Parts: sequence; structure tokens; C-alpha cells
Amino acid sequence: MCMQRAVFVIVFLLTGLSGLLAAGNEIDFLFEKGNEAYFAGNYEEAIRLYETVIQHGFESGYLYYNLGSAYYKQGGTGQSILYYERAKKWLPNDENIDFNLRMANLNVKDRIDLPEEFFLFRWHRNLVNLLSSRQWGMLLALSTLLAAITFAVFWLVDKHKLRAILRIVLIVWVMLLLFSVPMTIQRHNVESRSDQGIILESTVRCLAAPHEGSTELFIIHEGIKVSVRDTDGDWRKIELIDGKQGWVPAGSVGII
Amino acid sequence: MHLILAGLLTGASLYAQNGQVQAYVDRNRIGADEYVNFTIELEGATDFPSLTNPAQNDFIVVSGPNQSSNIQIINGAMKSSITVKWGLAPRRTGELTIPPIEFRSKNKKYKTTPISVTVVESSQKTVSPPSRQSGQNIQSQPSLPQGSKLFLKATPSRTTVYRGEELIVTFDLYFDNVRNFTRQKLPEAQGFWIEEFPAQKQPVVTTEVVDGVAYRKAELQRLALFPTKTGDLVIDPMLVDCEVMAARQRSRSIFDDFFSDNFFGATKVQSISSTPVKITVKPLPEQGQPGDFSGSVGDFSIVSSIDTLQTSQDQAVTLTYVIRGSGNINSIKLPPPKLPASVELFEPKIERETNNRGNHIQGTVKYEYVLIPRSTGTLEIPVIRFVYFDPSRGQYRTVNSRSFSVKVNSRVQNYVSSADRLFKEEIAQLGSDIRFISRSPQTWNRLGSSVFSEFWFWFLNVLAALIAGTAVFYRSWSEKMETNIAFSRRRRAWSNAQGNLQKAETALAQSDYAEFFTRLDRTLAGFVGDRLGLSQAEVGLDRIAENLQKKKADADLIRELVDFLRSLETDRFSPGAVSNHEYNELLETAKSILAKLNKVL
Repeated sequence: MCMQRAVFVIVFLLTGLSGLLAAGNEIDFLFEKGNEAYFAGNYEEAIRLYETVIQHGFESGYLYYNLGSAYYKQGGTGQSILYYERAKKWLPNDENIDFNLRMANLNVKDRIDLPEEFFLFRWHRNLVNLLSSRQWGMLLALSTLLAAITFAVFWLVDKHKLRAILRIVLIVWVMLLLFSVPMTIQRHNVESRSDQGIILESTVRCLAAPHEGSTELFIIHEGIKVSVRDTDGDWRKIELIDGKQGWVPAGSVGII
Repeated sequence: MHLILAGLLTGASLYAQNGQVQAYVDRNRIGADEYVNFTIELEGATDFPSLTNPAQNDFIVVSGPNQSSNIQIINGAMKSSITVKWGLAPRRTGELTIPPIEFRSKNKKYKTTPISVTVVESSQKTVSPPSRQSGQNIQSQPSLPQGSKLFLKATPSRTTVYRGEELIVTFDLYFDNVRNFTRQKLPEAQGFWIEEFPAQKQPVVTTEVVDGVAYRKAELQRLALFPTKTGDLVIDPMLVDCEVMAARQRSRSIFDDFFSDNFFGATKVQSISSTPVKITVKPLPEQGQPGDFSGSVGDFSIVSSIDTLQTSQDQAVTLTYVIRGSGNINSIKLPPPKLPASVELFEPKIERETNNRGNHIQGTVKYEYVLIPRSTGTLEIPVIRFVYFDPSRGQYRTVNSRSFSVKVNSRVQNYVSSADRLFKEEIAQLGSDIRFISRSPQTWNRLGSSVFSEFWFWFLNVLAALIAGTAVFYRSWSEKMETNIAFSRRRRAWSNAQGNLQKAETALAQSDYAEFFTRLDRTLAGFVGDRLGLSQAEVGLDRIAENLQKKKADADLIRELVDFLRSLETDRFSPGAVSNHEYNELLETAKSILAKLNKVL
């Protein structure tokens, strides 16, 4: 009975893993095809291929980066910024992404000055962005595992000299563990947040209420980054960095 | 600007056309009670032919024929002409015609052209130049002297031109008795670039017969126009104020001659304007237009020159291109030479020179480039193609400049090295573009997945929990299983011994010597018993020694322990025999023995 269950679990895991690997091959192929199309200057085809990868349910930081670049070459400011921002979500410390995002942002008409960030917040953000959520998770899991092994040895030996050393080691692992838990959670929150968007249409009127014909509050242009505060049917309530709020059609905002 | 037509009245020569006969009237619109002067002029003749009477049905001869001859010697060449004049009065009003007159002179037959004269009722006093006159002028000059003939004519060199092609418009004043004139306004022409030819100080006066009337003609202005757009364009009229001699009044006061500075009599100012000229501008032909067409129209040539063919790095070189030709010089644009990025090319100094003295607008454009080679080697300055449209041939033409190859030597390492540091090369940003895409293999994540949906994350954490749990479980399990207590006694032996020592010290402090000895005994005997797993019954001195020997303990240590325990037993029952400081000695001995035992066991 016990044996059967174990076999079943192993078989289940193996099939799942091999399925993922097979899909990965196909995705790699599409990705490489897209890169070739980009290299040949056929940006439209590159965009199509990259987006097929996403339709298959896969994503990666550099996929978004390449997609953003292809849109940039096509002249799609909003789309390129959207995908660069998505790439930045996965690869927060990639210098190329930052550079291209800056290049794309030069085409944005609206200029909104970012408020100066308090240095502690900036340090904290940089610390959280040091690793991806999976890397933080790996650190968390490994430190947990090592702490557990150290604890087990500590618990089972009687030599008090060894135990004294093990105690110090255990404290180190536990501290690392306690540190990586909030980091993992915060980085996960950064990656899974969906409250920020990029305006995709060249000119968007922001209305006071989520229906056509209400008061026009202000006009924003393609490529600007907004916070999405609320959703009502086909409308989204957005907030600019300077605090202005308004309703825009859902289709004109791409969620990062 | 006043241009005085000096000598117009003082017998300005009226030349007839070369060897031709001309017949003209002084005006072709008269009142019924006036008369026209009809003149036949024959050039090259010296004697008068016999002429028939020009007055037939419509006219009566009121004077003449008056014959006069005119001989001029200019630069040794003699020109002679004869004129015969009649005064002809009309018999009726309406359109009358002076018929052609045939005659022979020097065995040649001549025939004049018929001339039509309009005769109106004498009350209508009208001035009748063939050109149009604005109504304003007629109103402001109601009493223009009868018989003054005046009009301004604009003559374009052609009426259909290409865009950018030179078009010459001549403004001629046809007049009879005008003293001088002032140009009020140069014509405006929307859609044209205008170049002015210099006006002559002394306009050449010639004679021209228009509609049978002889006029004197002076060229007032010549303009070169370059159309800048296509379609039907209009050159606006030119306005000229003319000072016209009024007819001498018969009933003049004698003082007039003294107080009037005008010897010839009163003048009136009359404004006249030319007719607007319509020009059709064709676009340049699409067919055969080269891609690098510069937009210039005309006929040009290009010359290039360079100041040196051998230079050193960072030394400036001057490169000059001169385009020369006829056409709109101001619209010429020369493409810059295509040089490698290692050469710094400065904005050119452009000099334009327009020459408007000839019949066409000509000129030169000079492009002076300064370039600084920043690397050594051979610098190739390529040919510049200058493409223009030649309207006279109707096709595009290309002229090429010379190419040069300049040898750039390495910079001379001179003494002023500190200044040279300033020229340290920076990497020039040639363009800006986004960075290239990443083509490295990717680790793919499922959309919407996160670290918490990864198998390994939970696997490692659960594994850790299992390891820790197993260890704890195993520990407690093994302790429970060791019912012989030996295991637990052994683990607690040290702490028990320490506890007993502590209690012994407390007892000593309280002077409870019995308790002190008991505790010391327990410390050592108990420690050995705990470590060796001896039962309470076995903790006799013999048993301890025996078991220690089994553990291969040092014989000295065993003896020391046994002796110590034995001394404790004796001392316990004779408390007074031990002095105070000896208690402490006992305590220290116990501690040292315990430490030694701990090492062995």
C-alpha cells in the first residue's frame, strides 16, 4: 500500500517534469526564431513569435526585453515601455533593460517629475531587488534545510565542544532563514503586483466617472506609467505619480 | 528715382528700321475737329520719291507734304533718312483708314502698311494709349493734354517656364513727350524669387511703331524671376509716375517765362501701370530625375580645390567647392562631402556672389569646408555629384567635383605636449539606438507562477522539517528506550557531580561538615557510578576500583580516588580532626580528581 503510493508519486512527478521539458524545447525554438527575425530586421514577425511564446503560457525577463525592443523598432512607444517594465519586474538589475527603457521613455510626451525617494526606502528596494523571488526562495529553502541538518546533528551528538560549534552555525543559518523569509515575500509581491500600467494609446482622455460623456479631467499620452487603483466594467481608474486620478477605458492601459 | 530723359525733346533721332520704310501717325485717336500727322520715313534714301496723296476718301490734306532729310554720321558711318509729313483732317467720325502708299525709290518698290485712326466727336477728349489705364488716373488727370501717348508694357521672355527656370521680364515705357519718370513700385510677384538687373542711368531710346503709331521706347527695368512654385502665376503690374509735357498755352502771361523755371512749359504727373503678366510654370520632369537632385535649375559647373594634399593629424585642411553658372544662385545647395567618421568636418562658410550685369543672372557659390583629420593614413575625399536641371536641354545633368586623397601623417610630437592632451580623443557617439536583444537560452516560468508554486521550494522546506523532526523524534525515542537509565545517567553525570560540589560548598559555608563529607563522597562516587552505569549497591570502594580497572583507567588515578574516598570516610566521623583550611583542600582535591575522571570516562 505504502509502496504503491510512493511509486505513484514518483511517476506523477516524472511525467510532469518531462512534460515541462518538452514544452520548454518548443518554447526555446519559438524564442530563437523570434530572435532570428529580429536580427533580420523583421520586427513584425519577431513580435508575433514572441507573443506566441506568451500565448503558450511561458514568460521570462529577456523574452519581455526582446519583445519590448521589437516594439521599439516598430515605433510602438507604449508597447515597448510596457514590455520593458515587465522585463524589469523579472530582471530589476539588468543594465540593458534600464538603458532601453530610458531610450523608450524619451518618446513619451508627458513629463512628470518623480519625487525624490527617501534613501532608506531606496536601499530597502534595492535590497529586495537584489535577487528574484525564486532566488530568494531558494536561499530560504536552502538555509532552512541547512538549519534543519545542523539542528539534527546538534540534537544527536553529546560532545559538548562540537555542540558549541554547531550552536553557532545553527544561529547563522537561522538568521539567514529569518532574513530571507520577508525578502522572498516582498519580492514575490513586487513580481505579482498588477496595480501598475502603461498607457498604450497615443492620446487618452481621463474622465471623472467611468462612463463616456462625463467631465474630462486631463489628457495623457502614450507611454506614461500609471497606477491602477480600481476597475469598473470596461473602465479603469488610474492615478498618475503626481496624484491626479481619472477613469480611462480598460483597453488603453496595459498592466505591467 | 528720377531718371531724366535728357534730350528726348531736343531732337532725339528717330531712326527708321534698317533700310525700311515706315509709315506712322502721331496718334490714332482724334477728335473730329483735329488732325493727325501722318509721316512716311524712308531710311537710306537721300532724295525724295514721288508720293501719292495719302488723303483719299476719309481725309483731307490740311498741310504738307513737308519733306525733310536727316543725315547722321556716327563713328564714320553715315546714316541718312528722309521723312515726308502730312497733316490729315478726318472727313467723318468712326474708324478711318489711311490707305497704303506705294512708291519707288532707287528702283525699289515700297509699300506702307495701312493705319487705322479712330475719330470721335470733338467733345470727347480722350487720351488713347493702347495700354490700359486705371480709372483713378483718368480721374486725377482729367486735363491731360490731348495727343499725349503713354503706356508701359511688360514683356516676359516666355510665358511657359519650368519651376526654378530663369524668366526675364522687360518693362518698356512707350511715350511721346515725357520729361522724366519715377518708379513708384517694383512689380510684386507671388511665387517668384526676383533678381533685379541694374537700371540704366540713361535709358536708350528707340523708336517703335505700335498699331501704326510711332512711339519712343525706353527700357525702364529688367527683372529676372525664378518661379518657386508651379501653376499659373501672375506678375503684378509696375507703377511709374511720368512727368508729361503739357501743351504750350497760347494765352500766357509774359511773366510766366520769368517765373517758371520750366523752359518747355508746364508738366503734369501721370501715373501709369503695366498690365499683369500671366506665366505658366511647369513642374520639373519626374522622368529621369536622379535621387540626389539638388533642386537647382540653370547651367552650372563645379570646381573643387584643397589647400594641401599632405598634412598631419589634427591639422586643419581647407576644402573649397565653387559652383559657377547661370540660374538662381541663391537656391543652390551643395551636399556635404561624405567623409569617414574619423574626420571632423565643420559647418561650411558659404559665399554667394550674383552677377546681374549681363543678359542673365549669373554667379558663383563658394563652399569652404574646414576639416580636421583625427587619424593618420590616407584620407579619401570623394567626388561630390551636383545634379541640376538644364531647362534649355530639358534634362537633368550632373557635374562632378574632383576627388582628392590627402596623406595624413602622424602628429609631430612637439614640446607643447600639455596642450595636446586637450585633444585626447573621445569616443564619438555616432548615433543612438537601443541595446541589442538577449539571445541567451532562457529559463522559462509558467505565466502566473511564483516561487510558492515551485516544487523544489516546498520539497526543500518539507525535507528540512522532516530532518529536524526526525532528529528530535529519534532523540526522545532513544532516551525512552534506554530503560537501564545508564544513558541518561551518563549524560547527567557531569551536571550531577557539579551540583553535588555546589552543595558541598554550601554545606561548608554553613559549617555542616557531615553534609559536606556526604556531598563530596557523592560527587566522586556518584560520578563514577553514573558514568559506569553502576547500581547503588555496587558503589562500594572495591567495586569502583574494580570497574575503573576494567575501563583501563590509570592505576594512580584509581589509588588516588580510593584513598580520597577512604579519607573522607574517616574524617566524616571525627569532625574535629580537620582544620578549616583543610576543608578547602579537600574540595580542591575532589575537583581535580573529578576533572581527571571526566577525561578517562
